[in-house]
Amino acid sequence: MPTATLTDAARRAVSDVCEVRDAEPLDGVDGVVPTLVARPTTTEGVAAVLRAAAGHGLTVVPRGRGTKLSWGRPPTSADVLLDLSGLDRLIDHAAGDLIVAAEAGMTLAELQQHVGGAGQRLCVDETVPGASVGGTLVANTSGPRRLVAGTMRDLLIGITVVRADGVVAKAGGRVVKNVAGYDLGKLMIGSFGTLAVVTEATFRLHPVPAARRWVTAPVEDARHAQRLAQEVIHSQCVPAAVEIDWPPVAGGVLTVLVEGRAEGVDARAATVRGLLGDFATETEDPPAGWSAYPWGSPEEGAERPTSLKLTFALSGLGAVLATARELDAEVPIAVSGSAGAGVAHAAIPAEAPVEGVSAAVERLRETCSRHGGSAVVLDAPAAVKAAVDPWGPVAALALMRRVKDQFDPDHRLSPGRFVGGI
Amino acid sequence: MTSTDGAGAEPTGVAAVARRAAELLPEAGVITDHARLRTYECDGLTHYRVTPALVVIPEDAGQLAGIIAACAEHDVPYVARGSGTGLSGGALPHAEGVLVVTSRMRAIREVRREDQRAVVEPGVINLDVTRAATPHGYYYAPDPSSQQVCSIGGNLAENSGGAHCLKYGFTANHVLAADLVTPDGELVTLGGTAPDSPGYDLLGAVVGSEGTLGIATSVTVRLTRLPEEVRTVLVGFESTDQAGAATSAIIAAGVLPAAIEMMDALAIEAAEAAVHCNYPEGAGAVLVIELDGAADEVEQEYAEVERLCRDHGAFEQRLATDPADRALIWKGRKSAFAAVGRISPDYIVQDGVIPRTALPEVLHAIAELSASSGVRVANVFHAGDGNLHPLVLFDDAVEGAGEAAEQVSGAILDLCIQHGGSITGEHGVGVDKAAYMPRMYSDEDLDTMQLVRCAFDPRGISNPGKIFPTPRLCGEVPGRHKGPHPLQQAGLAEVF
Amino acid sequence: MEGRTDTPAYDGHLGETGSIVDLGLPAPGGAFDEHHPPDAALVGDCVHCGFCLPTCPTYVLWGEEMDSPRGRIYLMKEGLEGEPMNDAMVSHWDACLGCMSCVTACPSGVQYDTIIEQTRAQVERRHRRSAADRALRSLIFAIFPHPRRLRLLRGPLRGLQRTGLDRALRRTGLLERLAPQLAVMESLAPRLGKPMPLPEHIRATGERRAVVGMLTGCVQGAFFPGVNAATARVLQAEGCDIVVPAGQGCCGALSAHNGREEEAQRYARRLVDTFERADVDLLVVNAAGCGSTMKDYARLLADDPAYAERARALAEKVRDVAEVLDELGPVAERHPLEVSVAYHDACHLAHAQGVRAQPRRLLAGIPGLELREIAEPELCCGSAGIYNILNPEPARELGDRKAANIVATGAELLVTANPGCLMQVASAIDRSGHPMGMAHTVEVLDASIRGVPAESLREGTRPSA
Repeated sequence: MPTATLTDAARRAVSDVCEVRDAEPLDGVDGVVPTLVARPTTTEGVAAVLRAAAGHGLTVVPRGRGTKLSWGRPPTSADVLLDLSGLDRLIDHAAGDLIVAAEAGMTLAELQQHVGGAGQRLCVDETVPGASVGGTLVANTSGPRRLVAGTMRDLLIGITVVRADGVVAKAGGRVVKNVAGYDLGKLMIGSFGTLAVVTEATFRLHPVPAARRWVTAPVEDARHAQRLAQEVIHSQCVPAAVEIDWPPVAGGVLTVLVEGRAEGVDARAATVRGLLGDFATETEDPPAGWSAYPWGSPEEGAERPTSLKLTFALSGLGAVLATARELDAEVPIAVSGSAGAGVAHAAIPAEAPVEGVSAAVERLRETCSRHGGSAVVLDAPAAVKAAVDPWGPVAALALMRRVKDQFDPDHRLSPGRFVGGI
Repeated sequence: MTSTDGAGAEPTGVAAVARRAAELLPEAGVITDHARLRTYECDGLTHYRVTPALVVIPEDAGQLAGIIAACAEHDVPYVARGSGTGLSGGALPHAEGVLVVTSRMRAIREVRREDQRAVVEPGVINLDVTRAATPHGYYYAPDPSSQQVCSIGGNLAENSGGAHCLKYGFTANHVLAADLVTPDGELVTLGGTAPDSPGYDLLGAVVGSEGTLGIATSVTVRLTRLPEEVRTVLVGFESTDQAGAATSAIIAAGVLPAAIEMMDALAIEAAEAAVHCNYPEGAGAVLVIELDGAADEVEQEYAEVERLCRDHGAFEQRLATDPADRALIWKGRKSAFAAVGRISPDYIVQDGVIPRTALPEVLHAIAELSASSGVRVANVFHAGDGNLHPLVLFDDAVEGAGEAAEQVSGAILDLCIQHGGSITGEHGVGVDKAAYMPRMYSDEDLDTMQLVRCAFDPRGISNPGKIFPTPRLCGEVPGRHKGPHPLQQAGLAEVF
Repeated sequence: MEGRTDTPAYDGHLGETGSIVDLGLPAPGGAFDEHHPPDAALVGDCVHCGFCLPTCPTYVLWGEEMDSPRGRIYLMKEGLEGEPMNDAMVSHWDACLGCMSCVTACPSGVQYDTIIEQTRAQVERRHRRSAADRALRSLIFAIFPHPRRLRLLRGPLRGLQRTGLDRALRRTGLLERLAPQLAVMESLAPRLGKPMPLPEHIRATGERRAVVGMLTGCVQGAFFPGVNAATARVLQAEGCDIVVPAGQGCCGALSAHNGREEEAQRYARRLVDTFERADVDLLVVNAAGCGSTMKDYARLLADDPAYAERARALAEKVRDVAEVLDELGPVAERHPLEVSVAYHDACHLAHAQGVRAQPRRLLAGIPGLELREIAEPELCCGSAGIYNILNPEPARELGDRKAANIVATGAELLVTANPGCLMQVASAIDRSGHPMGMAHTVEVLDASIRGVPAESLREGTRPSA
């Protein structure tokens, strides 16, 4: 249960087992400033902190590298900010087996550097610069290459978590094929730190392809975009990514990435050029903003734009783009994302009026839902968050609550950030 | 079967469920006579047999949910069964429970090429999904060897793989949504046509949960584009060492084949006897390597694979020239388990996983185990991902042979665990390997997994007794146990 | 295949199960007695993998374990272990079409064809069927294995057809209601041509390459005499001296497939006697069901010391007409036949005898002929001997399914090698409203050799609408 200030006993319980300091405004989680910041450096350390917190009913919000703290709803309470940046070690890279195990606080970039040395990669794009492995996992962020390799869901093969009661548990293992027991890893993915604290993760890797080519073409309108996307998706060029870039008001560009062996890539890129029409161009470098979200990285201190994640059946791409264009009259919306996977992101500037944003969210949500998907407001200015339902309708919510109740019966892990007020 | 308490009293237990079933289902869907019930007493794992008290074969989700609701109301355990081909006893019935068979829920509801999706009922046979998608230029990628008979519902329960999961993943990567009847008898939708539904990935937990979290009544699957080009090559080596080294070299070269399968001499002998696949004569091991994708890429990859195989001692390489040829090469591999029945009266099929780099060492260790115990072991496996299927051969008519085979089988699993692998790569834990779970996972690990079970099935009626050797009492405070588990005290369970 | 009760993991609720009695003797009180029960070793060959399920027509229709080969074998196992024979068990064995699609699919080599016949024989001897069922079976076996009685039926049937009363009868549905099985028989009766008896000795054209005997059959001889005539002509053209012994009688297939063991053995003995006298190199059969049973004569007469060896010797000479023609290789010139053909594998030819490639090669050898494959080829058409009379509903469903698959090929002509299939599929295609020409494989070859135009095939055998 939330506590306004920590009792001495509670504070001591935590500081006895871990390096702590008082929190500063910069440690705020979406405007909610915690009381204490604890920075353990091992899984056992994390367990000790959580045990101590459990003993005193303290709420805990885990933080990787702090790049997505304002996503979701603000927590209803945050006694302890659990800083995991100290768990930043590479545990093991078995190149021959194409797996890597790392602690959750390690940055994605650093992990890529390690495995890159052996010509391998963790095939998940770094869409949020500086993100941690654990943060990427619990927020389930993904970029263009999700089309070819999937997301964290498809790459995670083993996980270590610490429960709210401080118990350490593992699931999965070091091998790709493993159906022993439940796949707790998948439950953790996208759970926003509300089920347990992820401290270690093991992933399958892919070889870095020898060559790559980006083929880009302008699209006239939403229907044209869908038609081209469908052509590419059903073709035999095996794209690694099919991305739509859809700025507000006018314009639009479809970009296809093919990767593989040099000669193969040449031929496939030519195929794609043929599909995309006369105005298609080909490069060996990624277009600007290739794997970045459309809302970019706002300046320090500046108000955040409204950031949305839109999902839809592939045949709904045109409708989603058309809706965005219609809404542009009131509120400029930039959309970009995977036309091949049916997952895109949208950005609405911070200055846009709350009513306009609210209406836009509703319209987009309705369109996505009609096409078998959803619209989630990942981040927004406080006023917008207060006015909209960021998560939207969620099926099986009752069952999700029961799972939460089992893992965190006292609701002390990141309370209030997630769906249904979890 | 618990029947009426007294004259005029309401039936309880299975009798109550049977009565409800008779109201909900047509007569042919409710089976109560002994001889018929017995035909359902085991799945593909014949070592364990239990006659269910009642078998029901619902035709739609409403009927199924009604049955489960009755089970929940009367606290009757239930077990789900698709085609009954599972190899871990996941569909082993409960003697005082209901067996819910999904084989009549077998409609393919829709195939949507533009979304790369299909919606099917759980009793639909895996290969039939591919057959329905093929005219559209698509197929369903997970291809267990039993795909011509196993059901999608069963695949979902076991998170089935298959030879092509090296490149294409498992059932979990190809199921986008499912309607689930929970152990309360309610119908919920998990996931969606589009990926990344907000909230917890309950679908991700349900896939591979072996029927312990509910029964799917509708499944939305991802369809994969049929590749432009497929090349299947059968490669003969003198030894499994060579074949294993070739495999590692291929992976190390950055080639990701759609499948790399290995069979040793004994397995080849069985397959040959069964389907006359004409594998290279005198081979100590064969690799079946399949490359697929864009034509140009495949051609490049094939050249490299051929070279690497030659470099590692391949004495024969046979490229399939047409689909019929390709099918025959695969037939040998896919019939291997059942074909082993021709060279041995009985056998145990294992399903351990090891890191690929440990392959040579583990194969040697298995050979040693076999030699020292006198128990023959044929090896068939997914070399690409280290998933072994040692077939431990024995003759049950010989005194002690069964026990010896069990021992070898268990020792092989221990080997897998020692090398950082898994006790099951595809077949599931079921009844068969529940006793080994504590060797792979700690008490805390198992306890945490069971939190999920408690959320879905607090009454403990959904396929009880599977996966976990010691059931968790739901509602008890999670945390470290001091002293013996209550079930141990009651003498109902042991810790291994 | 022993059960295990010692794994504590499963709550201690592992039930007790049995294993098949070691000596192969059925348990007393059980379904079977000691006279040729389903062979325990063969039953034990089943590893319960389930590969047979999707190819079994009754599993495809009903989706339940008991009506699948795996389930039927399990019921046999139960019977051997001591479970008494009851209506339920018998109903599932009776529902088996005997198509042997499962034998083709089984990776473990289970000889289901043998054990189902052994089981059926036990059922016939030990189980008391309902009065109606017994009456119908008596009627069928009083008529079908007797070529002369079948020919007698032709008259009244022909009369019905000429007056068009048969169609009227079918339309009123009266016959269906009064006697559904008889209605099926009537609806199956094909257009009747003029009966053409064959001479007892036929000399080869040109160089003699073999001396063959020919089985004239019962239904084939009575209802499809044209097929026998075509068979003789083709064999003659390909250099065979043919012996067609008079008074052959029935081969016993229908009896053997339906558990009427003694009856089947009587027919078999007579045929062994007849063809032994004929002294031929090979015995050519143009009906799939007959050929399959005759190849099994060694087992059928294994208990009879006076016939066991002679039956084996004769069985080794039996060939389907497609087999023998393929073996000999074509010498007679083939004239073009511009026609698209859908070839239907009769179960007793494909599954029981493994003859699939030969008819296809023979048809492919005809210039201008386009061969098309039918979807779901392993699935029985529902004829299955007298199955369509005893079990009209599933037979009808299967027939319609097969008809739809055949019609979907768009072929002009349906070719198959069994009179039962021909009748069943003709009736179903008729119902589907997409009439097609129909012929036996050997009739197509005959047309090509004689240089007869394709139209005659297309028109001549078409059932009237």
